[in-house]
Parts: sequence; structure tokens; C-alpha cells
Amino acid sequence: MSNALSFNYQIPLSPEPPALPLPETAAVPSRLKSIRDNLGAAAFHLSSAAELSRSLEKTRRTEPVLTTLTGIDQLLGGGLSRGKLTEIAGNRSGGRFSAIIATVAAVTSSGEAAALVDLGDHFDPQLAEAAGVELPRLLWVRPQRLKDAVACAEMLIHTGFQLVVLDLGMHPVRGARVPEAAWVRLARAAEGSGTALIVSSPYPISRTASDAVLSAKRAHIFWQGSGQTPRILTGTSSLLTLEKHRHRRPGGIAGMRLLTSDAIGNAPASSRSAVPAVQESGSSPLPAPVSSV
Amino acid sequence: MRIACFFVPLFPLAARLRSEPELTAEAVIITEGNGSAARVFAATRRARKEGIRSGLTLAQARALLPKLIARARDAECERTAQEALVEIAESFSPRVEDAGSGMVYLDISGLERHFKAVRSRMSATAEESSKDKGHAAWEHSLAQSAIHAVERIGLPVRVGIAASKLAARIAAELPKSPTIVPAGSESSFLAPLPLARLTPELEAAEMLQRWGLSSIGELAQLPEREVAARLGESGRDLHWAARGIDPQPLQPRQPLPEFREGMDLEWPLVSLEPFVFVANAALDRLTKRMELQGFACTRLELTLRLEPDGFHSRAIDLPAPTRDVKTLLTLTKLDLEANPPGAPVAGFLFVAHPDRPRRAQLSLFGPAALSPDKVATTIARIASMVGADRVGTPGVVNGHAPERFTIDGYDPPPPPPVRRQPRQGRGLLAVRVLRPVVPLEVISTPAVALASIRSLDPGQKALDIHGHVRVASGPWDLEEAWWSDTPTEREYWDVELSTGGVYRVFRECANGEWFVDGIYD
Repeated sequence: MSNALSFNYQIPLSPEPPALPLPETAAVPSRLKSIRDNLGAAAFHLSSAAELSRSLEKTRRTEPVLTTLTGIDQLLGGGLSRGKLTEIAGNRSGGRFSAIIATVAAVTSSGEAAALVDLGDHFDPQLAEAAGVELPRLLWVRPQRLKDAVACAEMLIHTGFQLVVLDLGMHPVRGARVPEAAWVRLARAAEGSGTALIVSSPYPISRTASDAVLSAKRAHIFWQGSGQTPRILTGTSSLLTLEKHRHRRPGGIAGMRLLTSDAIGNAPASSRSAVPAVQESGSSPLPAPVSSV
Repeated sequence: MRIACFFVPLFPLAARLRSEPELTAEAVIITEGNGSAARVFAATRRARKEGIRSGLTLAQARALLPKLIARARDAECERTAQEALVEIAESFSPRVEDAGSGMVYLDISGLERHFKAVRSRMSATAEESSKDKGHAAWEHSLAQSAIHAVERIGLPVRVGIAASKLAARIAAELPKSPTIVPAGSESSFLAPLPLARLTPELEAAEMLQRWGLSSIGELAQLPEREVAARLGESGRDLHWAARGIDPQPLQPRQPLPEFREGMDLEWPLVSLEPFVFVANAALDRLTKRMELQGFACTRLELTLRLEPDGFHSRAIDLPAPTRDVKTLLTLTKLDLEANPPGAPVAGFLFVAHPDRPRRAQLSLFGPAALSPDKVATTIARIASMVGADRVGTPGVVNGHAPERFTIDGYDPPPPPPVRRQPRQGRGLLAVRVLRPVVPLEVISTPAVALASIRSLDPGQKALDIHGHVRVASGPWDLEEAWWSDTPTEREYWDVELSTGGVYRVFRECANGEWFVDGIYD
């Protein structure tokens, strides 16, 4: 009976669906190649989508965050570690802020999101844009107390920003002190979410919570011109010292050379012209330069 | 499906006259633009009889008719008139699309039963005439009822009924009202009408004119493929429209629901903590209800009933829709701390205005995208802590003064599908901008060719700047906004001090005062 039924049963014929356009023959291999390249060696050990997702997340976390400043990247063994607290301490004109801007520029230009907690309210969007920061990817927070700044940084880490920078401004740090446990809490939050956390302060502040501590010390100020010719500030150089690192021998030293936008030759639209205004003798209270450094 | 279109001709004028009905018989024009750029947008019949047409300047119109009454377009009048029109449409059908600018579409399928009584009262001759024309008598009755209803709210309206939105709109735009297009005869209805009724784009309209086409029917007779080959996708759409094919479905408006949660308290509360406890539970219920319908809260209103009488109302606008109870509760708490009700609270009501939460596409190989919901929540909490104007995306402003900036809402672009290599650093020396600028005292001793500076505000220890000038570079002139009441004219210097540090200082040319506005770092 069942055979008869199955024999008599006929699938109703439907009109043949229109042929779908064929994929571009050249595009498919190139896309596959791109996927294989991105997967790398991990592709040979994967058997499910969940494993793939986990493997990619692991790869993401182990990739260092480049600062694009050779000295810092070398001292830190390739860049900032994700999920770790890195502290940069230094005096005025030591290059701390420039290092932060360069790191934010590197992270945002690679398509990642960055947050800057700017306790001293020192950030200049014009200059940052000239340094290569993609401003739409940057969240700028301007707290007025250290306690608020640390709380904001913790919230931003939990939100999933790939880079969070906590800049504490100049000496002495504005606002009341926070307990050391707050830095430990920040470091743990960064570890949990895989965020690269930078704390920039005029003196070491995070103590045991940091994974690495760099000190930046002003070495030279470079001026162009001497004698009676007008001077132009062309840049500074700093001495970087690795004060502490969990996985590297501390004490490493590197130099960092920074140039003004005029010296680089691609000044932002707002910057002044490359030639100073004509100065009449005795018209300004500031004296002629006494020495060329 | 049968679709009716309500169309108010010269809508800005009609909306204005609805608010000022005493002007209906006068020569009135509605202008668009300001000052000498104002042009006539619409005019009443009496004004049109005097030769006033849209596009004339106000001066030209007044030259034709000195006693002309001119009114500017009023967005509020137009909004309320549109709302009234939509309300009338909703009294006929539950499925109404608000097309804006005095136009409303409504789905009238299945409404014949509602108009059965009216149909029975119609005279036999009228019914016969309707049958001869091929459309149902009840549609004519519905259209007449709609015209009467809309005229009662002070708007003139034309009604068109057809099987598609396009045909209904064109029928409504005809001077004869109501115009009913029988089902299946859209193409024959459109064929004799001029092409301008389809409102083709300007370029396409010029080309069709050069082809010698004047009516919709002539365009419909051309081969579709040939039209598409010459006019592109818009030409194909135009050809479909000429044949009466309208792929656009009716999109009925769905007003967003309001979610309410409240409670009458057994004992009046006099402190914040117990209120936070009960508010937490209410907000939890509220967000769960919103989550079930896929909404998030974009505005939270709180009404407190006070003892013995009175109410205290607060509203919290969120930067982005969120369902995070902790955030909503924190914001409510902060708001009540800043604005206490001033009397015991005997009851409360939360009203959440919903919106769709933002979504992000996950990426396998690119950087992980931030969850918009989490970002919105975090920004709301940070804004409540540091102030809404102190968190956001920095922006640049045209100008020359270094301290200028804007701060906008944070809405980052989606991350790239594959992680990009970071741009190679340029090693740019950054400047820490000082906000506000620090006043300086410059002590000049020309005899020894040395100057020293010190900040005049030693109270702020972080900004203590002093020392002898070792090297100075400048002056660099900066002049901005010389045409305004607050011009900026400065002389900038870069100075290296003996105490260390390189500073950017400037002298205000107006009063000779010195300031430091940045530190090279």
C-alpha cells in the first residue's frame, strides 16, 4: 500500500526558478585567500564557529597596541599590552602628551575606538587632527576631579574601548588623591575587557597595579637659527627609561625625538606661518636670544 | 486594496488660513525666505487674480497689489494642520500613512460595511450612475464624508480613490473632487493626463519633452527597456508609474507606545533612599516591558504626587536609547538630588518614551565594534557625573585661536571590516592647551638682555610658571574676527625657561597683557 502511494505520489512541478547570477569568479578565491590570511595558523585547529570566534578574540588580545614612536615600542617589546595598565610619567615638556596623542592617532587610524580622560583639559582637537587622530573615533572626557577621572576611566574600560588614556595633567595632580586600590581596580578592569590602558602622570602613581612604567625626561630643546636671526622652535628630544615591566628587564633607555608641525612641514590650517613677523628693535619686552641651545 | 488619498492644495497657505480664518477672503500670500530673498510660495485666489504667482519677490508682489497681506511660512501651523488631517483620516480607517505636506493615504479596503447605511439612503439614480462609471457607490459616499469632515476643521481637501498610492495621489490632485478610479483601470485613467502629473525629475522631464512626449499614455507605450537604457533606474520607475504600476506599499504609521509604571505609596516618603528602592523595582518592570517589544528608553518622565497635594514633574533626556536600569536609576537619583520635590512623596509615575535601540554589526576580522547601548549608557552616566558639555567627540572649528574647539555627541563610524595598519607616526610635538589661559607678568631688563616671567595666579599650583627666558621665538601675529565686537589680536612667542619647559605665550595687543596658553609636551 505504501509502495503504491509512494508510486502514485507526484511532486507538483513548479516553474523553474530564474538562474541566480554567478559570483564573480576572480573575487571568490581572493576573498577566501583574505580569510585564510586573517585566520593564519589558527585555521588548522578550528572545528566550529565558536572556536573561530574565541581564537580571533585571543589573537586580538595578544596583538600589541603600537604607539608608532619607535623608542616606546622598543622599550615595551613591540607596543602597549592589551589588558594591561601602562604608566608614563614625566616632567613638563618631557613628551608625555605627544606620546599619548601619537598612540591615540595610531589606534583610531586602525579603526579602533579610543577614549581620552583629560583631567587637565589640555587636549587640542586641531593639533590632534594634524597628528593623524580620527576624531570621530575618539571620546573626550573632561572631568575636574581625580576621583571622577578614575571612575570615568573604569566605566569606559567596561564599555569596551580598545584604548583608554587617563591623562592626569601637570604637577601636582588636580583633585584629591585616590586610594591605591583604585589603580588595582582599574588594572583588573582593563584585564577583563582587553583594553590597553595608559595612565599619564607627572610622577609614578599607580604603583603595583601597573604592568609597565616608563619615565620620560626632557633632554634637549631644538631651535633653528642663532645670533641675530629669528629663532624657530623645531622640536624636543626626550630620554625614555623603562622603570618597571612585568616581563622585561627594567632599566632600558631609548630616545624620543619630537618635531613641531612647522618642522614637519605639514602644519594644521590654524598654525602660524613659518616666518615670524618682523620685529622692530626694542618693540617687545622679550629680549633677543642670548644663547642657542 | 483600495487606497484613498486626502490632499490639501496649497497646504502652507491652507494651514495659515486655518489659524487666521478672517483672512480667507483677502489677498494673502505665503512667503518663503528672509528679507529681500523672500519669495511668494502660495497665494489666495484673490491675489492670483491680480497676477501674483509663486516665485515673485515680495517687492514685486507688492508692486502688483500694494494692499497685499504677506505671511511667512509657519512650521507650527503646518504641523498642527497635518496632525488634524491625520486625525480625520484615522477616524475613517486604522491604517493611515502620513505623507506630510497636506497629504495622507489611507487603506479603505473593507469599509463598505460602515457605509452600508449611507449607500441605502442614496437615490437609485445615483447608484446607477456609480455602477455605470464602474466604481462602488460607497467609495463616493466615503469621499464626500471625508471632504465634509476635513472642511469642518478648516482645511479644503480633495480626495482621490484608486488601487495604488500613485493613482490615488494623481486623482486627488485633479481639480474635480472626489475622483474615483475603478480597480484595474489605473493605466487608462493616467493615459490622457499630462506628464507633469507624474512629477518626473527635472532632467528626465526635459528629455521627455525633447522626445515629443506630452501625456502619460505616450510614455507608457514606449518599450520599458529602451526607456530604462536612456534614463536609467529613475526612467524605469517613471515608466512603471506611467503604466499605473506602483510598487510602493501603504506604510501605516504606528505611533510609539508610552510605557508607564507607577505606585501609590502606603506611607509618604520623606527621604531619597526609600524612594530609590521602590523606583528601582518600577524601572526594572518598565525596562522589561520595553525589552519585550524591542524598545529602549530615550526620555524618562517622572511625576511625583506630593502630600498633602500637588505634583512634582521631572524629565530626563538620554543621549541614546537605553534599557539599563542602573543608568536610569542613577540619573533619576541625581536629578532628584539637584531638584528635590520639597514635600513628602505619596505616589510616583514613570513614563518612558521609547525608541529603537541602536545595533552594531559584529566583525570577525576587524576591530570589535562598541555596543551602542553600552556606549549610550556609559556616556549618560559620565555626563551625569562631569556634565553633559564635558563628554563627547572633539571637533575642530574654523578660525585661528588655538583654544577653540567643539564637543559633539559620540557617534563613531563603524569599524572597518579588516583591521587597518596604523598610520605611521610623525612624532609631532604636542601642546598642552591651558584652559583658561594663565596670566603672566613679564619682567624685562634690557640692560642684561634677559627677561623673566611668572604666573600671576600662584593659587593654582599646577599652573605655576616662572623662570628666566633662555630662548624666545616670535612674535607670530594672530588676528581674528577684526570685524566683530570682540576681535582677537595677539603676538605669540615660544619661550624656553630656565626652570625647564617650553611654553607658548602671547601678548594681547589691545591691552598689552601677557598670558601663557600652552605647554609643549
